Amino acid sequence: MKKLLAILAALPLLAASAWAAPAERYLHVKVDDAAGAQKISVNIPLSLAAKVIPAIDNGRLHDGRVRIGRFESDGVDIRQILDALQTAPDGEFVTVDQPKQHVRVAKRNGQLIVRVTDRKHEDQNVSVTLPWTVAEALASSTDKHELNLEAAIQALEKASDTTLVTVTGSRQTVRVWIDSQSAPAPSGDYQ
Amino acid sequence: MILLGKIGAGLLGGALVVGGLASSQGFLHVRIDEKRPDGTHLRLLLPAVALPVVLECVPRKHLRQAASDLRPWLPAIEAAASGLVDVPDGPLVEVAEPGERVSVVKSDRSLVVDVNDPGEAVHVSVPLGAVRSAASVVATRAGSN
Repeated sequence: MKKLLAILAALPLLAASAWAAPAERYLHVKVDDAAGAQKISVNIPLSLAAKVIPAIDNGRLHDGRVRIGRFESDGVDIRQILDALQTAPDGEFVTVDQPKQHVRVAKRNGQLIVRVTDRKHEDQNVSVTLPWTVAEALASSTDKHELNLEAAIQALEKASDTTLVTVTGSRQTVRVWIDSQSAPAPSGDYQ
Repeated sequence: MILLGKIGAGLLGGALVVGGLASSQGFLHVRIDEKRPDGTHLRLLLPAVALPVVLECVPRKHLRQAASDLRPWLPAIEAAASGLVDVPDGPLVEVAEPGERVSVVKSDRSLVVDVNDPGEAVHVSVPLGAVRSAASVVATRAGSN
């Protein structure tokens, strides 16, 4: 009898948790000065970004898409790399060797992985790890000179907690990640 | 005596209705404290519903620049203001460096901005509904030259 009562008492809680709205997802950006002098922390609810980005029609941003035409002049055509990787088998790398930097792109375990190493300043590295669904969403725009930010944000809302971008330099470190916490975790690190 | 009571009840009811309307959208709260001996200490508490009216009273020439800057961003501001209503309270932006701290927090249907530097401490709390209507008024006035 006690067990039955306990189950009956727990039912409303189970039902409530099943019907509860999914937790808000956040995109966090954290910039730390190497000397510890400056800290910048930005926490953007993804649902908010999903509403605001399509509403921006200014500069390179319009209709939830960002124009990336000029990125080609740096020798790295982001859109072309994404297109090539869509059909590439898991683990295959694209390597871009330039006098200034070394870029490696891989598709591994359902993620797009980009590593950029500055040849002149070897302590400056950029690491990008995007869930493959997000990378696909970015490339889902019909125009080859654009990335679809709106679709990428929708895909990010469904992605698990992960560190998306890490930039380490002698002066600053930058970290971009997603999770369900409104404020950054003190030392949260997802991979 | 009964008539006086009825008039009093009427006045009280009217005051309650006006007060309710005034506070229905919350209050704009501004606090500025300059950190010098003869510095300014400003406190402003304004019903959010009055903000568009106040902006209508500002001479157009003073709003022109702000308006032209705002117009392209108006849809984004409106989307942000309505979107922020639905997200949980929490810090949105925090910048800390020696002697200076800036924070933007969403708190209870308001956007709260705090700036604390060696020269002054500024606190602004704006109801999200007022952000939308104020931006709209400023942008509209730019178009009505």
